[in-house]
Amino acid sequence: MASSRDDFVIAIRSAFLKKSTQQKFSLLTLVFISIFVIILSNLDFKVIRYLKIGINEIVYRSSFVVSIPENLVKNTFTEIIDYSTFFRDFKKNREELTDLKSKNISSQITQYENKELKELINDYVSSSDKVLAKIIVDHDSPFLKSIIINKGSKDNIKIGTNIYDQSYLVGRVIEVNYKTSRVLLLSDLNSNVPVTIAPQNVQAIITGSDDNTAQIKYMKSGITSELTDKSIVYTSGTGAIFKSGIPIGKIRINENDKSKKFKVEFYSDFSQLKYVFAEIITKSELAKGNQEEENSANNQKPIDAKLRILEDELEIIEQSNLKFKNENEDLKSKINNLNNKILGFQTEISKQREKINQFDIDKGELEFLRLNLEYSHKCRKSFFNVKGFSVGTEDYKKCILNKGRIND
Amino acid sequence: MINLKTKGFYYKVYALLPIIILFISVLNEFDLNYLNLDYFSFNFPFILIFFFSLKEFKNFDYLLVFLAGLINDTVVGLPLGLSSLSYMLICIATAYFRNITIRPNPIKDWFYFLFILSLINSLNYSILTLFFSYNLVLMNYLVNTFFTFSFYIVFVSLFKFYLKGIND
Repeated sequence: MASSRDDFVIAIRSAFLKKSTQQKFSLLTLVFISIFVIILSNLDFKVIRYLKIGINEIVYRSSFVVSIPENLVKNTFTEIIDYSTFFRDFKKNREELTDLKSKNISSQITQYENKELKELINDYVSSSDKVLAKIIVDHDSPFLKSIIINKGSKDNIKIGTNIYDQSYLVGRVIEVNYKTSRVLLLSDLNSNVPVTIAPQNVQAIITGSDDNTAQIKYMKSGITSELTDKSIVYTSGTGAIFKSGIPIGKIRINENDKSKKFKVEFYSDFSQLKYVFAEIITKSELAKGNQEEENSANNQKPIDAKLRILEDELEIIEQSNLKFKNENEDLKSKINNLNNKILGFQTEISKQREKINQFDIDKGELEFLRLNLEYSHKCRKSFFNVKGFSVGTEDYKKCILNKGRIND
Repeated sequence: MINLKTKGFYYKVYALLPIIILFISVLNEFDLNYLNLDYFSFNFPFILIFFFSLKEFKNFDYLLVFLAGLINDTVVGLPLGLSSLSYMLICIATAYFRNITIRPNPIKDWFYFLFILSLINSLNYSILTLFFSYNLVLMNYLVNTFFTFSFYIVFVSLFKFYLKGIND
């Protein structure tokens, strides 16, 4: 038992410490150096940073050179496939081009309007230049999905710079060297992008998936039923990591018996990237000079001319508004006067009605008196007229108005 | 058979061939996945380092292996030093295995490789997720381990030709 433990200790000691014939360092030393390098590389000292940048530059270039033969074989293979489908693609592309040309015009107008509106609401003007960058290292690692481009801090690339394939977003820069940068692709598991899903206008966060698609990481519950296969995913600009309105892909729905799964299919094929565009954004504050300078400068800017027109329009609207107010006041007073007159007329009418009523009463009384004189002997009860009525009763009155009793 | 020892320069190049291939593989990071199969990947440097540090350790400079690890980290984008540590651990494991083995057996080597491979991939996964907060898919590691283990026997049969050449 003791001897086997001794053998184990000897074997371990030999493995760690013994330097073989041509070894300059023992393995234990190299293990310690490895750990030291891991710790050191995560410290943000200036010297280490520059050293890392230097190593990255050399290694990326070397990697590019070493990859040339393999890339040559790959590209040849891809080109052969491309040629075989060339004519079919050509026909399809021609149709698409015609369609896109018409759409492009309206898109340009929208972009121009959008830019104008953004300038109006912001206190700065952002201008962006897209720099063409070549991908020098594109190793499809199963663990980290990233590419190396041949543009770095020399070309104003910064951490977070958005990277495009044509107009589609492919990722953002996570490491900048002097003449190279590492781009984290959207398909990487560590990539989170705030997006808007159109036309439903649903806000969500997508993250990379292991099968070169993206999955929806966060979305408000209960609105998944609104999403369709035709829903388009583009950046929402939330968090200011990515610019807003950049197309990413479209929704693909995988329906199972139990549940629906939403995936985002990227417009761009990340495995076929050769060149990409890096968007370099420069923000310039609006000048706050004196009023005269501002006015003279304003005269030269079309947007300020537009503002002046808007101000004039506002003034005209205010003036006409005042005029309408005055007219309104006049009309109100006139209405009041008329109401008063109507009230006067109404009281007069009621008085006249009373008079008419009185006149009617008087007229009835007079008629009764006249008939009374004539027919009282026929209606009054007396010794000779026992069927008559007593004077003052209702029957007597009726009898007078009937010019005597009905039977007579 | 040409005696390589009589050809000084060519012999040196031939002796350094594993190291040269190691450097090319870490710089090129090739995975032979031209059919774009999902999940498919294998770790060629692990196979190479394991085999040559076990069989041909005299011409296999550990310092160069260490440097190859640093290059691999730079190319892949892992924290600098992590692959070096993995490669060194393979070298330690093979040195220990060499010391305790009296009668070498390819099948034993193969399964010992599986054990070491699993151990190192687990260590890598743990370090990356725990200390560096990387989001990684465990399935990728498992598939990578499986294919690396499967391809070991294929590459070993090729490497044996090399060993035969250097021993003759």
